[in-house]
Amino acid sequence: MKNKIPAGIALCLISLFAGAQDITFPELGGFKKITKYPVYTPENLWDFINGAADTYLALGFVDLHVAEYKKGKEVIKAEIYRHSDHTMAFGIYSSERSPSYRFLKIGAQGYIIDGVINFFKGDYYVKIRTYTKKPKILQSEESLAMRIASMLEGEEVMPSLLAEFPTGGKKENEETYINESVLGHQFLNKAFKTVYTLGTDEFSIYFLKYNTPQETTRSAETYLASAKIEAPQSEDGKIVFTDGYNGTVFLSWKGDRMVIITGLAKDQADIADKYSSEMLE
Amino acid sequence: MKRITRRGFLKTGIAGAGMMAIPSTMASAALSIQDQNIVYRTLGRTGLKVPVVSFGVMRSDNPGLCKAAYEKGIKLFDTANGYQGGNNEIMLGNLFKGMKRDSFFLATKVKPERDREGKPNDQTSPEKFLEMFNTSLSRLQMDYVDILYVHDISHTDLLEYKPLINAAKGLKKSGKAKFLGFSTHRNEPAVINAAAELDTWDVILTQYNYRLANAADYTSAIRKAADAGIGIVAMKTLAGGGFLDRERTKPMNTTAAIKWVLSNPGVSTTIPGMTSFDQLELNAKILADISFTEQEKQDLLAANAEPGLLCSGCGQCLKECPHNLPVPDLMRAYMYAYGYSMPSMAKSLVAEIGIRGNPCLSCDECKIKCYRNFQIKEKIADISRLADIPNEFLA
Repeated sequence: MKNKIPAGIALCLISLFAGAQDITFPELGGFKKITKYPVYTPENLWDFINGAADTYLALGFVDLHVAEYKKGKEVIKAEIYRHSDHTMAFGIYSSERSPSYRFLKIGAQGYIIDGVINFFKGDYYVKIRTYTKKPKILQSEESLAMRIASMLEGEEVMPSLLAEFPTGGKKENEETYINESVLGHQFLNKAFKTVYTLGTDEFSIYFLKYNTPQETTRSAETYLASAKIEAPQSEDGKIVFTDGYNGTVFLSWKGDRMVIITGLAKDQADIADKYSSEMLE
Repeated sequence: MKRITRRGFLKTGIAGAGMMAIPSTMASAALSIQDQNIVYRTLGRTGLKVPVVSFGVMRSDNPGLCKAAYEKGIKLFDTANGYQGGNNEIMLGNLFKGMKRDSFFLATKVKPERDREGKPNDQTSPEKFLEMFNTSLSRLQMDYVDILYVHDISHTDLLEYKPLINAAKGLKKSGKAKFLGFSTHRNEPAVINAAAELDTWDVILTQYNYRLANAADYTSAIRKAADAGIGIVAMKTLAGGGFLDRERTKPMNTTAAIKWVLSNPGVSTTIPGMTSFDQLELNAKILADISFTEQEKQDLLAANAEPGLLCSGCGQCLKECPHNLPVPDLMRAYMYAYGYSMPSMAKSLVAEIGIRGNPCLSCDECKIKCYRNFQIKEKIADISRLADIPNEFLA
């Protein structure tokens, strides 16, 4: 039995994971690189980022590598978070960004604010920060960010489903990805969300893509049942109702797609219809 | 079967009970009825009367959920400067700006820099701390927070680091922070015991859950701090989420877990994280009933018997292993191999640690008493074998 176990490990695990990229932080001229931090995993991420870890864990966090770059008293700290896939990396990145930041073309997207440079690329979310205001150190920080970005493998584009959202009135850089409990409902998961403004109205659109039309219909039925509304037994539909603390909800579905719009009044069904039709057709 | 028009939305009648937005007069009545049944505890010397269940907001991005919690009688909302890049505080600021300020308690945290051991270093800047706090206050759109925590104190040196403590005390004196506290995530017993000897701290936010039932040092530290008048708020009350396994196939009795925490009278309130109305409904029931049922006790015993896959990295084993093995690192290697199916990563780590052969062979019985019931000897025996597997068999 003892001798079978190593063979068992080998047989079971051969090439299942074809290359988790080894993380080797790049050098940065003039700085001493320190990598004595442990690699953080889901079980001890709390030790490093405390309660913030919950959000990372909910978005497929795999591991975290940390390095510091020191030059005298100046320190630049770099954190590379690996997530389970590109959408999850976007999810965590977008949860922490603000549309007011200065955005950079780095990785798939990045931004810079007050000595912080965050970006995502492939399955990775990278956070780099320094507290100094010295221009040369800040330049070095940007250089480091570019080097890390070029070192990491993976997509340099936004998740493809974001292109499904209509552009009219869309607020830039406010898209997010919600992996669990969309609108506080445990039966609604994996939605992209975008915010819109039209005149004085501001509303949100949630887009969910399922594997099959049957799954979509089931999800719609579950949502309606939670609001004690009889589901129409149809593979497509458009229904407006009041969903507790989420207010008025415009729910529409067709095929493998579902669109939920919140923030509009019931008499603004024409706006909801316009946007949802564009996304469902 | 209803015909659904392809043009325009079908309007429905008012949805059913439970989560419905109800007219404000009815909401007030519902709140006052709930309010009479809520179990309150006093948060130490702060004198704040807090419901036994509060809201750890850190993951929630849904103001509707926070509002629902407020209307169910939850009063203390816990956030931090660093949660969701500041968006968490912004959300709460927008939510609460229309509400009476004395109808809720707001706690936030600001994390000063420190070295890897948790000690202050030349990056631990009181100026930066104050700047971050003012940013938090601005996001929250409030004149003050009820509790300001120094975020993540895991070493007694930081607990008594005068430049930082004086900055925090200045905020209390100015009225921008009504009470001062700290959160602690490592070395909790040592840090809590030390804090109990000081006059500085009004509140401590600490991990406390049923998996620490045998950790006498945790319980006695909490008692000591509570006896010293420090309000104790418990976090990580579910010991890692609502499931006993990483694949989320084994749900746990979260109500039982929270009630276990509250069975310690030294704990004033808990801050479970919530992201769904279902979770809120479940936790809100505890507001008015913290008594254990037999079933809940049995469920907790069963949950405690589940070792799980993941080492918590608490480091207790390091003191107990006679061979000074880096047990947490070996458990991490085990997790890479069996939890993530990354055998090459596991082997690299084993090699880095310098393990050849089974280092546990000389011990008849393992001296380590892992509070998570990990079978340390068996896991080390298993993972140490990876060193002998040729690389070409591993990814």
